Amino acid sequence: MESPPPKFALPVDSEHKATEFRLFSVAAPHMRAFHLSWVSFFACFVSSFAVAPLVPIIRDNLNLTSTDIGNAGIVSVSGAVFARVAMGSACDLFGPRLASASLILLTAPAVFCSSIATSPTSFLLVRFFTGFSLTTFVSTQFWMSSMFSAPVVGTANGVAGGWGNLGGGATQLIMPLVFGVIRDIGAVKFTAWRIAFFIPALFQTLSAFAVLIFGQDMPDGNYHGLKKSGEKAKDKFSWVFYYGFTNYRGWILALTYGYCFGVELVVDNIIAEYFYDRFNLNLSTAGIIAASFGLANLFTRPGGGILSDIVAKRFGMRGRLWTLWVVQTLGGVFCIIMGQVGSLSGSIIVMIAFSVFVQAACGLTFGVVPFVSRRSLGVVSGMTGGGGNVGAVVTQLIFFRGSKYSKQTGITLMGIMIICCTLPLFLIYFPQWGGMFCGPSKKANATEEEYYLSEWKSNEKEKGFHLASLKFSENSVSERGGKVDSVTRPSDETSSAHV
Amino acid sequence: MAARGILLASLLFFSCLAVTCYGIVLFSSLPSTLVVTASAKQGQVLKAGEDKIAVTWGLNQSLPAGVDSAYKTINLKLCYAPISQVDRAWRKTVDNLAKDKTCQFLIVSRPYDGSNKAVQSYEGTVERDVPTATYFVRAYAYNSDNVEVAYGQTTDSHKTTDLFQVQAISGRHVSLDIASACFSAFSVVSLIGFFVVEKRRAKQSQRK
Repeated sequence: MESPPPKFALPVDSEHKATEFRLFSVAAPHMRAFHLSWVSFFACFVSSFAVAPLVPIIRDNLNLTSTDIGNAGIVSVSGAVFARVAMGSACDLFGPRLASASLILLTAPAVFCSSIATSPTSFLLVRFFTGFSLTTFVSTQFWMSSMFSAPVVGTANGVAGGWGNLGGGATQLIMPLVFGVIRDIGAVKFTAWRIAFFIPALFQTLSAFAVLIFGQDMPDGNYHGLKKSGEKAKDKFSWVFYYGFTNYRGWILALTYGYCFGVELVVDNIIAEYFYDRFNLNLSTAGIIAASFGLANLFTRPGGGILSDIVAKRFGMRGRLWTLWVVQTLGGVFCIIMGQVGSLSGSIIVMIAFSVFVQAACGLTFGVVPFVSRRSLGVVSGMTGGGGNVGAVVTQLIFFRGSKYSKQTGITLMGIMIICCTLPLFLIYFPQWGGMFCGPSKKANATEEEYYLSEWKSNEKEKGFHLASLKFSENSVSERGGKVDSVTRPSDETSSAHV
Repeated sequence: MAARGILLASLLFFSCLAVTCYGIVLFSSLPSTLVVTASAKQGQVLKAGEDKIAVTWGLNQSLPAGVDSAYKTINLKLCYAPISQVDRAWRKTVDNLAKDKTCQFLIVSRPYDGSNKAVQSYEGTVERDVPTATYFVRAYAYNSDNVEVAYGQTTDSHKTTDLFQVQAISGRHVSLDIASACFSAFSVVSLIGFFVVEKRRAKQSQRK
C-alpha cells in the first residue's frame, strides 16, 4: 500500500483521473484498477449464471417444476436490488476495493454450496445468495468513475461493465464444457454438475484476492491512507444518501436501466432453456447459442460507452440522452421480433441484433450516470444498478414464471415493456446542459459549478469538503458539447484540446 | 373374424400410407397391439442404480395373424406418468411422436420375435440418470424404416393404473460436501485475514 509517485503512466486531469484509456496497459493505478474490476465482475457473472445452461440436468436431479425454476431465476437477481444501493454507499464511505472484495468473498460460499443442493428450496437459497455477487457492478462503475475523467469515463465504464457482463455468456459455454469433461471422466450426470460448480467458485475467490492485493481505490491511494493524510474528507453517510436519493434523474435512470440491463439478466437466465426446449437442441448447442448473447458484450457494451463519449464531444449531454433513447428503443423492437420468429437461424440472428442494442444501451446509460451526482456518485450508481435488477425481477415475475405464458410470448411482451419503460428518458433535464427536448437554461446560475456544489451545505463548504466536486464541475464542462470556451478551463488540463 | 382382420389390416395399411405421405407419426394413429408387463407394481418405489426392473412384451394373442408382419424392432421405454408432467413443459405429451417428450429413457431395444406366440423378456437395473418421478413402461414397435407402427404399455389408456415410482440418486458425495464446507470457510477466513493484515500495516505506517 505505498503511495504512488506523482508522475502517472497516463495523462491525468486535476483530480489525477486518467484522460486516456489504454486497453492493453496494466499500469498502476488506472489501468490496473480497470483490469482488476472487470475480471472480478466477470467472475461474479460466471457464478451467478452458472446454473442456467445446466438447468436441464439440475431440474431432473432436484425434481424442479417450471415454477421452481422461475422462482429461482427471480431470486437470483433480486438479492442485488437493495445490495446495490448499499454497495453504492459502501463505496462512497469505504472505497471500492474493500467493498467489492468483501462482497465477493462473502458470496463465494454460496457458490461452493451449490454443489450440495438437494431440493427446490435449497436450490432457491443458493441462487439467492450467489446473486448478491452481482452487486460488484456498482463498485466496478464507481471505481472506473474514480479513476477516469469525463471524456473517457463512458468508455471505461462501458468496457468494464461489458467485459464483466461477458461472464453471463461465457458461463453458458464454460459450464456445459466442464460438465461434459467431468461426466466423460466417469461421473454420473447428477454428480458431474455438482463438481462443475467448483470452477466458478474458485475463480471468484481468486479474483477477490487479486483485488485486495493489487488494487487501490483512487489515483492517489486508498481511502484509508487518504483519510489519514486529510486529502479525502470523511463524508457523512446520511447526506451522501440524501443527495443521491433525492435526485430524480437517478430514479429515471434506474427505471430505464431495468429495461436494458434487467432484460439482459432475464435473457441470461432463460435463453439456454428456451433454445433447448423450443428447437430440440442438445445441451452444448443450446449453451453455445445462449453464450453468443452474453459474449456480444465484448463489443456492444463498450461500444455503447464509446458511442456515448463520441456523441458527447459534439452534442454534449443531450447527445448522450438521445442516443440512449434510440438504441434502447431499437432493442425493444428486436425483442418483440425475437419472440415471433419460429426458425432456428432466424431466432439466432434476431437474438444477436437484440443483444447488440440492449447491451449498448447499458453502456450508454453509464455514460450519463457519472454526471448525475458527484458527492453521491456511489448511491446514484447503486440506485441505477439496483433498478437494473428490479427490472429483471419484475419482468421474470410477470412473464417467465410458471406456465402462464409460453417463453416466446413472454419474450414478445418483454419487448413491448422495454419500449414503454424507455420513454421516461424524455423527462431528464440538467439546467446547465439541457434535456432531450429543451436546451440549457439561460439563467446565470445554470452552471456545472452550481449543479455540483448544490450538493454541499455552506458549513461543509467552509471546511473545504466540496473541493473534489469543484474540480469535477470544471472538468465536466465538456458535456456542453460543440466548441468549448478554453478560457474557462484551467491550463493544466490536457483533455480540452480534443473537445 | 376375417372381416375384422381385413378391417384392421387396411387401417394399418392406410396409417402407414399417411406416415409415408407426411413423415409425421401421430401417437393416436398407432394401434395398441403389444402386451407389456413390468415387475414393478402400482405404487412401488424403485431405487435408481440399485433396483432391477423386469419387463416382458409380446403380441396380443387375440389379434388376427399377420398384424405384426411389419415389426422389426421393439423399444421399451420408461415414460412419465401425468402427475410427473405437471408444470414441466420439458416432459410434455404431444401427439406428434417426433416432438413427444413423454418417454425419455430407453430400457432395452430388441429385434422382434414374432414366432409362435413368443413372449420376450428383459431384466436390468434402473439407470442412475433416471430422475425421481412416477412412471409406466411403454413398448414401441418399429418397422424396417425405423418408423413407429404400433405400441403397448403397462398402464391403461388414461395412464392411471399400474404406475410405479423411481427414487433417483442424489448425486451428492461426502467428499463433495466436505470440499464445499472447507472452501466456504476458507473464503470467509481469508477475508478476515486480509483485514487484520491491513490494520496492522496501517498501524505500522502510522508509527513511522
